[in-house]
Amino acid sequence: MIDLTQVSKVFAGKREVTALHPLDLTIPKGEMVAIIGASGSGKSTLLNLIGGLDHPTTGTISVDGATLGTLSDDELTRVRRDKIGFVFQFFNLLPSLSCTENVSLPLHLRGWPKQKTQDRAAELLNLVGLGKRVDHLPDELSGGERQRVAIARALSVYPPILLADEPTGNLDSTTGEEILGLIKDLHRRLGTTVLIVTHDMTVAHACERILQLKDGVILADRRVESPAAQ
Amino acid sequence: MKLLRLLSWPYVRKHKLRMLLTLAGIMLGVAVFVGMHTANLTIQSAFQRTVDRIAGKAQLQVSAGETGFPEEVLERVQSSREVSAASPVIEAALSTSQGTLLVLGVDMTGDASLREYDLEGEDEDVIDDPLIFLAQPDSMIVSRQFAERTGLERGSKLTLKTMGGQKTFTIRGVMKATGLATVFGGNLAIMDIYAAQAVFGRGRLFDRIDVGLAEGVSIEQGTAKLQALVGPGFQVEPPQSRGTHFQSMSRGLTVSINLASLFALLIGVFIIFNSFSIAITQRCGEIGVLRALGATSGQVRRLFLLESIVLGLCGSLLGVFAGLWMARGIVPGLAGTLQEVFGHALSADEITISTPLAALAVVIGVLASLVGGYVPAHSAARVDPVKALLKGRTQVLSEGENRLRQKLAAACIVGCALLLGLGNRNEYFYPGYLLGIVSMILLAPAMSMWLARALRPILKLIWPVEGALAADSLIQAPRRTSATVTALMLSLALAVGFAGVSRAIYDSLLDWMNHTLNPDLYVSPSRSITAKTFRFPATMGDELRALEGVEEVQPVRNARVLINGAPVMAVSIDIKAITDRVRVRPVEGNREELVRLGAQGKGVIISDNLSLIRNIHRGDILEIPTPRGVLKLPVLGSSVDYSDQQGSFLIDKSLFQKYWGDDTANIFRIHVRKGYSRDRVREAILKRWADSHEIFVYTNEGIREYILKLTDQWFGLTYIQLAVALVVAILGIVNTLTVSITDRRRELGVLQAVGGLRNQIRRTIWLEAVSIGAVGLVMGAAAGIVMIYFNLHMLHRDLGGLRVDFTFPYAFMAMMVPVIGLCSFVAAIWPAEAAVRASLVESLEYE
Repeated sequence: MIDLTQVSKVFAGKREVTALHPLDLTIPKGEMVAIIGASGSGKSTLLNLIGGLDHPTTGTISVDGATLGTLSDDELTRVRRDKIGFVFQFFNLLPSLSCTENVSLPLHLRGWPKQKTQDRAAELLNLVGLGKRVDHLPDELSGGERQRVAIARALSVYPPILLADEPTGNLDSTTGEEILGLIKDLHRRLGTTVLIVTHDMTVAHACERILQLKDGVILADRRVESPAAQ
Repeated sequence: MKLLRLLSWPYVRKHKLRMLLTLAGIMLGVAVFVGMHTANLTIQSAFQRTVDRIAGKAQLQVSAGETGFPEEVLERVQSSREVSAASPVIEAALSTSQGTLLVLGVDMTGDASLREYDLEGEDEDVIDDPLIFLAQPDSMIVSRQFAERTGLERGSKLTLKTMGGQKTFTIRGVMKATGLATVFGGNLAIMDIYAAQAVFGRGRLFDRIDVGLAEGVSIEQGTAKLQALVGPGFQVEPPQSRGTHFQSMSRGLTVSINLASLFALLIGVFIIFNSFSIAITQRCGEIGVLRALGATSGQVRRLFLLESIVLGLCGSLLGVFAGLWMARGIVPGLAGTLQEVFGHALSADEITISTPLAALAVVIGVLASLVGGYVPAHSAARVDPVKALLKGRTQVLSEGENRLRQKLAAACIVGCALLLGLGNRNEYFYPGYLLGIVSMILLAPAMSMWLARALRPILKLIWPVEGALAADSLIQAPRRTSATVTALMLSLALAVGFAGVSRAIYDSLLDWMNHTLNPDLYVSPSRSITAKTFRFPATMGDELRALEGVEEVQPVRNARVLINGAPVMAVSIDIKAITDRVRVRPVEGNREELVRLGAQGKGVIISDNLSLIRNIHRGDILEIPTPRGVLKLPVLGSSVDYSDQQGSFLIDKSLFQKYWGDDTANIFRIHVRKGYSRDRVREAILKRWADSHEIFVYTNEGIREYILKLTDQWFGLTYIQLAVALVVAILGIVNTLTVSITDRRRELGVLQAVGGLRNQIRRTIWLEAVSIGAVGLVMGAAAGIVMIYFNLHMLHRDLGGLRVDFTFPYAFMAMMVPVIGLCSFVAAIWPAEAAVRASLVESLEYE
């Protein structure tokens, strides 16, 4: 599903910073992986590279058969919108749009017809338990509810891959557990490949595999025998 | 100052483009101010300089307006003990292949005591022996510059078309390129005055007498004595007064320039306001930190005010240079237009740089910058250190702020209505005008928000994501967009105001032309129908009448006379003959009485604009200075007549000939006999006179075209200002979009992250820009209606007394839709590219 070969990332500037040293990584379809590590270890960089949000300095990245480095910007965007869903720590909802409008945003961008878009948005909001808050603006929602909307948006086309960068990092522990439960549930029901960047070991232990990064190097890559149920 | 270096300078360096745009806003505003005023000043000074240099040592000039006067007046002036030298002058401009040549006809026997003819080498004998000129009337001396341009030298022949046919002149001398010889761009020729009378068809008239006073006689004494000697029909004035009369004629232009400059600066103020509001929004965190570290609100306010002063100073200095450069480009066109409109020869090669004007422009630029920066600086000073760290808060107009603006706007509207209702006096009108503009400005943010809200469903329907986001961007950040929209609104209001007035004038002019200009042909001695260099002798009218196919010939003689010190155009016609063919439409008075008494020479018919400008009405006595004394005639009434901006009056030719001793004609109106071809008659006239005379025969359509072209040229002057105003407003759109993109960086990043293609992101930005343009356009059209109303009143009361009907310039507005749309789109190209090329990772992390 996801293959990285000798992928590295160096940030150029007054002083060069190597965020990721060359690494190889394979993540099979349907796996739920946690990427952990201290701040600056390169975990978010790794996630951004896999999501096609950033370009590697060296190496190749293949996502569901598509080699990202060979794609034009618009082709890369098409891969992102068809195959990848993003969930961010700060939700990144558009404040002027209602829940429905936020969730239907990727569908509109794909040019889906209005009715189909609305039906799908309603379906997803029901799925994340916000069926009664469809017309609310993000400002009118709690942190957990906003993240649910963000998850619904990420799943709008039921992408095969879900990338989540600190999805619980901005939430209290109870809400964080709820969100993690939701992601696990969706992973189980939809068979989505999930990559979660996190500081939180509880979140990490809920995954099937944990990648530990330190100074841009994969320090450990281990399987979780029995991921904690949420 | 330390804070300025520590905090402001890094911000400027980081946001170079925005700073450049802001600087450009101030620069253009100041440039328009400096450019237009310098151009006007250059023309006025060039005219004055020409007058002064031609006047030489003359302390007084005796004239009778533009009409000229009989030769015997010279003897009377020369007989005065107060006069040491008196020399008659004819001054005229001739078209040559090397441009316009200013010809001075002088009497060499006495003129050298008033003017210094600095001739080259042996040529001095022409001055030393004035009989050379008298004995050889084909003699001419020219300036060195003209000689070089035309390859002339002493003894060369120069052929010119004159009223007496083509004549060849012999160059008897060349003047050194100093003093007198430098006037009119060095295109100067001197000839004998009696030869000039023949060349220019002046009969036995002089244009004026230049007078040198005897020792010990003051200007005041000399003026009083000479005035008493020549009578009240003449003007005895220092030469400088001609400049004052010219200024008075071109007053309309000065007022237009002032108005447009004011608007350009006002638009600049909004650009600065916009830029500073944006800067404060972006530097909110920095302000918060400063406040947390102990900076007082006064220090924060001073920091931003200081920034606005520095920016204003830099922009103004650049604006002064740009304005001078702009003036260099404007002056030739402006001189040409004024020459055509007023019939005065003008030449200005070098622009006049006025230090006080430049200093005033810098002061105004800095003040405008301070005004624009004051509210944002005040807001910065009031920033709560805690709230300062909350992103986006300062872009939102609080309900209270919005309500206050709306209340103030309502108060201004009421004030404006009250002032206008109080009466027609300037003291009420202009403050009312100002309140009207202020109310529009105050209403602009609320209106732009309402319009953006109205636009949202439309945009969303067409482009569900891009449209909605573009409209939301306007709705959510009124502070960010309202200043730009206001600047655009003001630019468009100015443009619509001018377009409306020009449309109204066009319509009135067309109506007047359709009604008044009904002859088939017009015969003029100059290409320009306003030029008064040549005049036809009365006998030519008889010869024209004798041509086959000519049914009627109506000679027209027009010249400005000074009534109460200001020039008014006297139009001498055969009232009976013309009114048989043109139905007079009186504004005041009875038609039958106007025609009957006018034709009998028992009164004058004044133009409606003269009536309005000078407050002269039916029954008043018009005191007209003539070479035979003051002619007191009752005003029979007024009618619409656009012959002259400063007003005109119709006087029967019998009276004119009697009092001015002048039977020449500036133009012949010709009616062709039924069944005859107009073109054949035209050809016959040209065949008869073209070889020997300067003669131009215009058809009816040709003369209309000529007048409309002249009107276009006049309005063309304002188009430059409008173009700059629009450019300034467009800079504002670029500025706003740049900031909008910075503000929405994360939003645009999210859009890309969830699948927005580059073109979809671009479309969002384009739509936002076009929406700003559309909102500005609607508001500009609304404000334009108010502007037209005020402009028409101004035109009516202060700029030529024109009574024109309100006309909305639909065609202009229709043209503005694609222009503004395209400009907004162009303004969005760079910001849109910047948005799609920004790093996605950085955008998503942007706070």
